[in-house]
Amino acid sequence: MAKKKVKETTEKSPKEEPEYVRIKFNQPRRYDWSTGKYLGHFYAEAKENKKIVGNRCPKCKEIWLPPTPVCPKCKVDMGWDWRELPQTGTVFQYTYLVFPLWDPHYGERWANPYASGIIKLDNGVFYRHFLEEQDKEKLKEGMRVKAVWKEDYNERGQGPSDILYFKEIGKE
Amino acid sequence: MATVTEKLEGMDVWIYHGRIYIPNTYAAGAVGSQFLIALRDKKKIMGMRCPTCNRVYVPARSVCKDCFGQLDEWVEVSDKGTLLTYTVCNQPNPVQPVEPPIVYGIIQLDGADNGIVHMLGEVDLEQLRIGMRVQAVFKEKREASILDIKYFKPLA
Amino acid sequence: MPNRLAIVGIGQTYHTSKRPDVNYAEMTREAVMAALADAQLSIKDIEATFMANMETFEAIYLPDHQMAAEAGFYGKPGLKVGTGGTSGASAVAEGFYFVASGLYDVALVIGCEKQDCGDTTAAISAAATPIWGKGATTGAIGEFAKQALSYMKTSGAKEEHAAMVRLKADRNACRNPYAHLKLGLKSIEDVLKSPYLVWPLRLLDFCPQSCGACALIFASEKRAKKISKKPVWVADIETVHQEPFRAGSFGDPTGKETYTQHVACERLYKRNGITKPRRDIDLAEIYEPSNWEEMNLYEHFHFCGKGEGWKLIEKGITEIEGEFPVNPSGGVLATNPIGATPTIRVAEAALQIRGDGGEHQATREVKTALATALGGPNWTVMTLLKRSL
Repeated sequence: MAKKKVKETTEKSPKEEPEYVRIKFNQPRRYDWSTGKYLGHFYAEAKENKKIVGNRCPKCKEIWLPPTPVCPKCKVDMGWDWRELPQTGTVFQYTYLVFPLWDPHYGERWANPYASGIIKLDNGVFYRHFLEEQDKEKLKEGMRVKAVWKEDYNERGQGPSDILYFKEIGKE
Repeated sequence: MATVTEKLEGMDVWIYHGRIYIPNTYAAGAVGSQFLIALRDKKKIMGMRCPTCNRVYVPARSVCKDCFGQLDEWVEVSDKGTLLTYTVCNQPNPVQPVEPPIVYGIIQLDGADNGIVHMLGEVDLEQLRIGMRVQAVFKEKREASILDIKYFKPLA
Repeated sequence: MPNRLAIVGIGQTYHTSKRPDVNYAEMTREAVMAALADAQLSIKDIEATFMANMETFEAIYLPDHQMAAEAGFYGKPGLKVGTGGTSGASAVAEGFYFVASGLYDVALVIGCEKQDCGDTTAAISAAATPIWGKGATTGAIGEFAKQALSYMKTSGAKEEHAAMVRLKADRNACRNPYAHLKLGLKSIEDVLKSPYLVWPLRLLDFCPQSCGACALIFASEKRAKKISKKPVWVADIETVHQEPFRAGSFGDPTGKETYTQHVACERLYKRNGITKPRRDIDLAEIYEPSNWEEMNLYEHFHFCGKGEGWKLIEKGITEIEGEFPVNPSGGVLATNPIGATPTIRVAEAALQIRGDGGEHQATREVKTALATALGGPNWTVMTLLKRSL
């Protein structure tokens, strides 16, 4: 890690009396987060095969995405029953970000506007992701969309981010 | 977005190298501000006296921890004091104000009833001992921060 | 059977967007001192303290270690609790559990948040799982935007109804000396002029970021009757949590149909013989982060039938003069120091029962009131208060 000193600056309140001191401390905190083997398998399928996979509960037969070691409904061990999910679906719900938010990873403002949504994949499983369409007037519920992957193998390996966005089917 | 996830060698497990970035602004408040402004403008170290417990807090604070009383009796304490304890830090870390090795000490200033944590400078490590007399050295350029005191040096 | 207990002291700071004149601890102290003064107690009478705060919203960790002296828990037993948006109500629940158990007779409950210190959306996003939660995240606003759209589509509510919710909140806030946003809005058009943040949520559809604190003093039955002429009894509390990312997985991924409110209502209403909430309860202080969510919550708490939340606002039923006032304080839409927000709901509901609402006292008589909290992945805490048991 590069040696970088913490920037600690103080700022004065506007000229009116009395003066109050505010101390700024801006230091990103590092952390390492392990996917574990279940989510790891999702990563591997995305990188190697451009596939979206979920795992299926042996009891209720529901497919879970994100994959999980324990069925949230039945509380039983999920086992290793993987199912490929369709990459097409319909926009179930969407929103459109107008106000530029902080990216909590890197402290930069995100580009805006952008659209994100909940996509109902064709087997009924819900998936959250960005939408390619940025025009609020053209976004609509029920819009047919498909996943667009990062083409470069070396750029993949970022899990959900291996899918760039969901794009309207038939729109070129 | 940058590449942040790596595959763990030999396992189907991936490690996400994240950073949490939340900008922090600490409001020192009226009492804290006056303490810091006195460092900056007058090179004075101010404490607050609790009349009930007859105790002087440095840095100045607005509430007595024992009697819960609201404090407003400002007192100036000396820039000289006694080293209560110390340690030497050799491990670099981005949150440290200067490069290691850093001598951290707890110093009880003359006139104060508690110690403050600060750094020691102009000192040989062999020379360090509990109970040694030290004096505050102020920075030339001060900006209302506890680091306006550059460090404490041994009294000759 | 738990021991009975009552709220005997209520205190809060004024709420505003920036408080450079006090540090976090000093601000919290203002609420504690106000509650002690209200109960005519000294800090020595307090046996234990329970504090709530939305950790990381000030971009610091362990805020309680900064304020042991100022908030009055130096040398005392107690716990800090952080359950996201419901923190302030979780502290109320903690106080309830400990006093009801008979372990302590007098306890202090504190909620506090100083939002001029950090960045709220960054903090919320930092709570999400890095890969799933953050990728397409839009903070809390994005989630409520999706809910709003969903509500609009299924119930037939229009943007005008959301504007009416804001107008009600603003009228009430203007009568509440402690409220933060007092905009003096005159018409629906005034609200509809405000720009979109996350479509279809406008700036005025959403709650502000406030600095402030709120403190309550709980006392066991025996002590409560001696301390206060007007004790407000904490009849019951219900808390329900669920799994974060799969918040909406059970039936509805938008989170519009929520699991936790359903379960919490079922349990709390059943235990207390509430069959028609709008008849059996006189007033509610609910945690409504957005105009849309308020109408949604009317339905979740069974104040009306499904898809009818917007009709309550249209008919003026939930106005301060109405048959069933909701948030006469101005609510979260006007004032939102997050860790304190659910504590304020309980405090304001208790003030209404005491008849001490002042300018914002509800017109109708209030004997039973409900205070709710919502937060994290739609977690729910419900507190039922009564004038007499």
